[in-house]
Amino acid sequence: MRKPYLYLAAALSVFAFESGCASLGVKAYDRDLLSRDEMRLDANPVDGAIDEHLYFSKEASSGGRSYAGGGCGCN
Amino acid sequence: MAASCALLGAGAAQSQEADGAQKEQSQLSRILEGVSFDSALAYYREDGRIQAIEPVVNLSKTFAGGEIATLNITFDSLSGASPNGALPSNVPQTFASPSGTSLITGRHLYTIAPGRLPADPNYQDDRIAVAGEWELPLSRLTHLSLGGKLSGEDDFISATLSASIAQDFNEKNTTVLLGINNEFDSLRPIGGAPVPDSDYAAFDKDGTKSKDGLGVLLGLTQVMTRRWLSELNLSWDRFHGYLNDPYKITSVLDASGNTLGYVYENRPDERTRRSVYLENRVAWSNVSAGLSLRYMQDDWQIHSETAQAHVHFSFANRQQYLEPSMRWYRQTAADFYTPWLTEEKPVTGFQASDSRLGAFHAFTYGVKYAYKLSSDAGLAGSEFSVRLEYYQQIQDHRLAAPVLLQNLDLYPGLKAILVQFGWRF
Repeated sequence: MRKPYLYLAAALSVFAFESGCASLGVKAYDRDLLSRDEMRLDANPVDGAIDEHLYFSKEASSGGRSYAGGGCGCN
Repeated sequence: MAASCALLGAGAAQSQEADGAQKEQSQLSRILEGVSFDSALAYYREDGRIQAIEPVVNLSKTFAGGEIATLNITFDSLSGASPNGALPSNVPQTFASPSGTSLITGRHLYTIAPGRLPADPNYQDDRIAVAGEWELPLSRLTHLSLGGKLSGEDDFISATLSASIAQDFNEKNTTVLLGINNEFDSLRPIGGAPVPDSDYAAFDKDGTKSKDGLGVLLGLTQVMTRRWLSELNLSWDRFHGYLNDPYKITSVLDASGNTLGYVYENRPDERTRRSVYLENRVAWSNVSAGLSLRYMQDDWQIHSETAQAHVHFSFANRQQYLEPSMRWYRQTAADFYTPWLTEEKPVTGFQASDSRLGAFHAFTYGVKYAYKLSSDAGLAGSEFSVRLEYYQQIQDHRLAAPVLLQNLDLYPGLKAILVQFGWRF
């Protein structure tokens, strides 16, 4: 199975790219767009939790964004 | 004179009342300072199967020292028809609900008409989950977060503890997070936990079962540019214990497709999963967009890919927004998944016909509309929203059906809708 290694290599490349470039980023006074509510990575935690619960009980995969688990899913 | 005294007296009383009201209001605003409230009422319905009502309340308060306390309460009420894992047949099939102890006596029995997917029509379950989190700054750049969650159903209790530490670098443009969680579950299946692989007609069941899970998450969040934010997560988790669905059975067929009987599913008692998750968000003046990708694999040989995108359009001076979204998901089957069994024993020694372990792909189409009240209105800054979603699963890699079952829909998939109303401030 080559696919997982390809994904891992791609992820590590992004990781190295992101962490290796200290020049990335902006000054605090340039965060007007990033500070908007909708730009928060957890902008809609309740929507996210309801969707996660749906997918957890209907699919074999869960989590990734945060921890997986948390229920029986027996239906 | 008396009239003017009365007027003055009334004026003083009114002024005292106004002072009191002002004090109460300022006390209330002091209590509400730093508080955010998020709530939703969701209704979920599958085509001819389960329906659920789910109210959720999420309350958090930020204290002067930067600590954040969060409390989440979720309630689910599920009812309807839950597929039991057996295949449709050309003849009527009779099953017992989990509380049944015989396939002969009339109580707790249900009969499925020819051609219909076997599903227990009396499924009913309620769940309540309470979660809390306490986030505290250890320094200007380091945050510790401790959490716990308790979830209870009629036949299931789950407790989870979690801890994570986040460190900011590079003028807070880079955040690295390391988290760990531990879950302990106790299962008390209605009627008892069936012995895996046992004959369904034998009602060979025993008592309470348990499983536990350990998860680790390593995350990196990076501000890329003024408009672009990126997050990368690597996660790993391992579950150990009773991993069967105690209510799922598998049909046993002869070569022509006649049903010879049913056996309870038998999954391995350990499962390890790994995932990579990448999310990017980009903002323009009144529009922002997000795209997330996830790859997950486990040692049951399930591999899945997920892509999810949304676009956020703000309008009416940012008091309203519209957010269409789309999600695509695909998974391969577990190596022990089989829609039915023959008289030969499965190669892996394990078997399950639960379609959630089969190969399928799924789409979700969604849209959310929200209206924010202006901050000087009655419910200052409140946001009211409505969200609609349509979810569809289509099963892949269908095996050729035995001759007697070729006219039946053995892979019905799943269609569902979700309607959600939200209020937050």
